[in-house]
Amino acid sequence: MLIWFLPVFLVLLMIGLPVFFGLLAAPGFLLWLNGQERDITLLYRNLYNGMDSFPLMAIPFFMLAGELMNRGGITLRLVEFAQALMGHLRGGLAHVNVLSSMLFAGLSGSAVADTSALGSMLIPAMEKQGYSRKFAAAITAASSVIGPIIPPSGIMIIYAYVMGESVAALFLAGIVPGVMVGLGLMFMVKVMADRYDFPVASRRYTWGERGQASLKAFFPLMTPVIILGGILAGIFTPTEAAAIAVAYALVIGLFVLKTLRVSELPDVLARAGLTSAVVLLLVGAAMSFKTVVSLSHAPEHLAEFILTLTENPLLLLFLINLLLFVVGMFLDAGPAIIILGPILGPVFTSLGVDSVHFAIIMCVNLTVGLATPPMGLVLFVASAVSGERVTTIARAILPFLAVEIIVIFLITFIPAISMTIPRITGFVN
Amino acid sequence: MKALMAVVTLLYWVNGTLLRIGRWIGVVAVAAMVVAILVQVFFRYVLNNALPWPDEAARFCMLWMTGLMAPTAFRQGGFAAIDTVTAALPKRAFSVLMLFLLAVSLTVLTVGVQIGYKEVTGIGGRFATASLYVPTSFGFDDWYRVPRSWMMWSLLVGIALLILVNIELILHRIVSLLGGDDALPSLDAAEVGGAE
Amino acid sequence: ADYKIRATANSNENDEDYDGLVVFKNYVEAASNGAIEVELFIGTQLCSNGAECLQGVADGSIDVFVSTSSGAAGLFPYVQVMDLPYLMSDDRIAESVLSGEFTRTMRDMALEDSGDTIRLMTIGNTGGWRNFANTKRRIAEPSDMEGLKIRTVVADLPQELVKALGASPTPIPWPELFTSFQTGVVEGSKNGITDIMGMKFPDAGLKYVTLDGHAYMGAMWWMSNQNFMAMPEDMRRVVVDGFYALQQATFASPKRKSIAAYEEFVAGGGDLYVPTPAQKAAFKEAATPVYDWFKSNVSRGDEIFTALTEAVAEAEAEIGADLAKDLN
Ligand code: NA
Ligand code: NA
Repeated sequence: MLIWFLPVFLVLLMIGLPVFFGLLAAPGFLLWLNGQERDITLLYRNLYNGMDSFPLMAIPFFMLAGELMNRGGITLRLVEFAQALMGHLRGGLAHVNVLSSMLFAGLSGSAVADTSALGSMLIPAMEKQGYSRKFAAAITAASSVIGPIIPPSGIMIIYAYVMGESVAALFLAGIVPGVMVGLGLMFMVKVMADRYDFPVASRRYTWGERGQASLKAFFPLMTPVIILGGILAGIFTPTEAAAIAVAYALVIGLFVLKTLRVSELPDVLARAGLTSAVVLLLVGAAMSFKTVVSLSHAPEHLAEFILTLTENPLLLLFLINLLLFVVGMFLDAGPAIIILGPILGPVFTSLGVDSVHFAIIMCVNLTVGLATPPMGLVLFVASAVSGERVTTIARAILPFLAVEIIVIFLITFIPAISMTIPRITGFVN
Repeated sequence: MKALMAVVTLLYWVNGTLLRIGRWIGVVAVAAMVVAILVQVFFRYVLNNALPWPDEAARFCMLWMTGLMAPTAFRQGGFAAIDTVTAALPKRAFSVLMLFLLAVSLTVLTVGVQIGYKEVTGIGGRFATASLYVPTSFGFDDWYRVPRSWMMWSLLVGIALLILVNIELILHRIVSLLGGDDALPSLDAAEVGGAE
Repeated sequence: ADYKIRATANSNENDEDYDGLVVFKNYVEAASNGAIEVELFIGTQLCSNGAECLQGVADGSIDVFVSTSSGAAGLFPYVQVMDLPYLMSDDRIAESVLSGEFTRTMRDMALEDSGDTIRLMTIGNTGGWRNFANTKRRIAEPSDMEGLKIRTVVADLPQELVKALGASPTPIPWPELFTSFQTGVVEGSKNGITDIMGMKFPDAGLKYVTLDGHAYMGAMWWMSNQNFMAMPEDMRRVVVDGFYALQQATFASPKRKSIAAYEEFVAGGGDLYVPTPAQKAAFKEAATPVYDWFKSNVSRGDEIFTALTEAVAEAEAEIGADLAKDLN
């Protein structure tokens, strides 16, 4: 009986109720129908306690660090560095766009931040060189999904917390898949560049010039080294690493590069606070939802049902890819992970899929969904930044999406891609 | 309609003021979180002397940040929702559906505020925090152990503010249904993203 | 089933708490002839710490919950009497004390302080005894503790104890303890052997364990008083007997589980030291300031301290008399 909260939840969601309220309303309504009023209190309590968590604090911190880096003109130095390396290739700025996203991903955990920061800089530059606006916007949106795959990553922090995984393990597992998405996109850029005769951005830089560009980008490029190095060496928890990233961004923005002013800080703090407040409420509501998921024994029922379809784990994973892809078309990655993690995670780990591997499948699959129509968050941001219509960008992005779907399949069916680094470093046994 | 607009204007002012205060406290809270964790790292790794309070103090700030800032996001339409399916509805039907959804969220919040009050004043609120004290004398020689309820108030206050915002949104919909769109003050949209 | 008991433990299925719950479930369901059904929630599905879970017990949304003393100390500070060092000398004394009036005294105090909502059903064990363990040197005398950085939970009493012995208390969250040993942020801890081996602390450099047995790791089993009292007396009898069976199971389980842990520790090159009676007396002497601290700083501390020491004296007398008969 209680299990009916799932369809009720889906209906409420489809007619547009904000996810936060849906996560509470549907289980609450069914508990009430069932005469389990006292358990509605459990919903409230888990909402509160779900937010009262030290690991979750990494979310506001990484958001803050990303904002500070961006205001501090650090993005610009990353782009110049990427240009020095790849600008001379055919389709140079398109390559620079992808490489910048990979570098930016090491500082920021958000695809939206990537699109708005890099897009506002690179889309006009690409247009000036003769790329069409829709192509520039499309490659910006497509490459921005690398942001939450290469660590740090907001959605991985959320997944790890809601599902009781290690943040560090997920971070490490995301490195290779993120790089693969980047290389895949570059490959597609090359194919298109040869075919459509894309412009070359600049002459080939000398190694001396490249050295200079890398010196200028040295401080921002050190951020992922500090974050990952600290976590890997077991010196910091991810939350502490995030706080250190904030301090690091402040110091280089205010004192080293002097591109940040103290008067900008309240605004930066407010933006990071507002965004993370929404995410934290959502995570809290997910913990309430999860309580009713366990009370209703939903994963057990679901596993039984799924096993009547097929017992082949590879086929099941394929079906999950499809499901996640469709969900990703309508829902942002964060809420989707919050809703589906507690339901699907236990099912697949009981089928023998490693929990970290499954986490990466979900994160990458849903992150790519950020760039798919009709509800692709980064498509909207790319549209806002470029002035191009969403539907136009959605069409131009298709070849890149195809690449990303191939990468998703590779990650899904070759566990070693994601699991090798966390295994070697001992974060997964 | 006139009376309705008077209420809308009043609520616009009340919410605007309360949320602005909330955002400023939130800004201070975010800064304090960063400082607390940096102090923790410094004492633990540099001075080799771990402190008991930064973890709990930072969580204290994070909870208040959430309670005080999330209502602003709600007011500006920053709560994630699927709006693609209903976007095709005719305007009037869409407005009616939105009113229904706002009624659902108001129900959730109203139940929440009642439970929340019982929680804060109940057994759970009487638990002592593990490491938070405030001085009760100017000489800093008397210290009071902070009860857990001081942290729990954050969500209750947050829900109360969300209710105020929810009522405001409902009134806006009603005015809009009655054709008074032009007279409505705009609930200025700021950029609020997700974790993505 | 006419009655549903929803029981939760924040640990996992390898824990003594789970062993106890399995025995409880089995006994209660069988003895009530199916009238009572026990549903187990192991982990943090329903609630994730003492404060939350006891809140659930108080309002009846959770029927049964097990906590350590630190889990309940935020609400009932006097339960920390269990953490006072060297009051009970061995398992036999502890088991006798916890099966008697002492537990009832604590139950009455908790019922009083919770407005008759939270009922202490029984006190069992979780993880055996606390011992001092460290990465630096063998601890035979209290003076060997001098200057060691010892990890404690964020609570006053364990910190006072560590200070009384001349070491410096360092609050570190449990999941971070392993790396803290590696990096030298802390040099020692006070834990049971199963936890030490379960967390692989020897791999992080933990080499010396002194079996001073300074505290019995009591597990307090709480139940919603209203839900308990709502049952008819014959069903309450079944529940109470179920908790007796549970208590016996948790008394026995750590003894069995620690054997392999000790063997593994020694096989890995660990140094296991059993202090002599004289050395143990010296430890107790060094720790006495903590008793006074407890009596004057913890609310109702004096009352519970008296209850415990009287119960211990009684148990010692009784067991002494029994031994006199058994030995000759
Ligand atoms: Na990233
Ligand atoms: Na890009």
